[in-house]
Amino acid sequence: MKKSIYVLVVIALTFTACKNEQKTKDHNESESTEMHGNSDGHHDNDKEHVEENRSIETSSDKNSATSAMVDGYLEIKNGLVSDDKSAAAKGGKNLLNAFASFDMGSLTKEQHSEYMEIIENATEQAEHIVKSPIDHQREHFEVLSNDMNDLIALLGTEKTLYQDFCPMANNGKGAIWLSETKEIKNPFYGSKMMKCGKMQKQIN
Amino acid sequence: MKKYLKRIIIVLIIAFIGIQFIPRTYNLRDTFSENDISKTFDVPENIQLIFETSCYDCHSNNTEYPWYNKIQPVSYFMEDHITEGKEELNFSEIGSYSKRRLKSKLKSIISQIDDEEMPMFSYTIIHRDAILSEEEKEQIKDWVSENLNLLSK
Repeated sequence: MKKSIYVLVVIALTFTACKNEQKTKDHNESESTEMHGNSDGHHDNDKEHVEENRSIETSSDKNSATSAMVDGYLEIKNGLVSDDKSAAAKGGKNLLNAFASFDMGSLTKEQHSEYMEIIENATEQAEHIVKSPIDHQREHFEVLSNDMNDLIALLGTEKTLYQDFCPMANNGKGAIWLSETKEIKNPFYGSKMMKCGKMQKQIN
Repeated sequence: MKKYLKRIIIVLIIAFIGIQFIPRTYNLRDTFSENDISKTFDVPENIQLIFETSCYDCHSNNTEYPWYNKIQPVSYFMEDHITEGKEELNFSEIGSYSKRRLKSKLKSIISQIDDEEMPMFSYTIIHRDAILSEEEKEQIKDWVSENLNLLSK
């Protein structure tokens, strides 16, 4: 009888411990969203100018800080081009690491709020790319490509990239992606439609 | 041998009673938040009804709990599931999302319905009224696409 009471206490404690952990996690998360909410509260209108498929101005400040992010993104892209789910997932992980280790101290106040908004969304897409089947990876890659395009427009890159456009993606509305090669290799359809798309712009 | 079996059963029963004392958290509000989709978008009545019937239990701050949620460990796992659902999309907080995030969420609603991922099977197996008819799917998708286009302008 005594033994069973011990077991009971241990079980109860385990459950309560898990619960507390969960709570702290939730708490931290809500805190960070709150912080984010405050920091961009004043800039709601500024954001309106961030349009979908915005073309990248050839930026004079070539930023090496974004290189790790671009590398992670391209790894996802190349995974999808070769219909390789796990390669894309690995790229997603690397992209998340690159986001986490980016030094935000170098950003101006205006850049910071736009950066936070882009990263919040891009992080969610990357998380899904890490854990989803390939069709879902591709859906999230569509959104992620827009985010990366805007991020590079905001911060610049030292790499030479090509902005490509696939008219069929996004339910026929069309979608962009970024590539390091001039040759078209379509990540939205992979081997099914490798050559679909056209280069819209060269960056750097 | 029989003695051990008896002991194990007793332990399990006591454990089951014991875990009933673990505090339950509830995801329950009487009123809709100011950031609820119904207050931040122009949502027609029929669309809002579908959202509430098929989505709100896991994707809002207004869950309608079944009776068995009063039993542990059901309550524990259910709450965990709801927390996860709300992280993905929370109809009660949609008004506070950035335009960028909102657009990707609306897009995801359409693809989740197209891929028949949501409402998920483990939910509709009990909540039969949450199953979307083909007509309801089209209504939701039309409404969401329309608003997605408005946001993209």
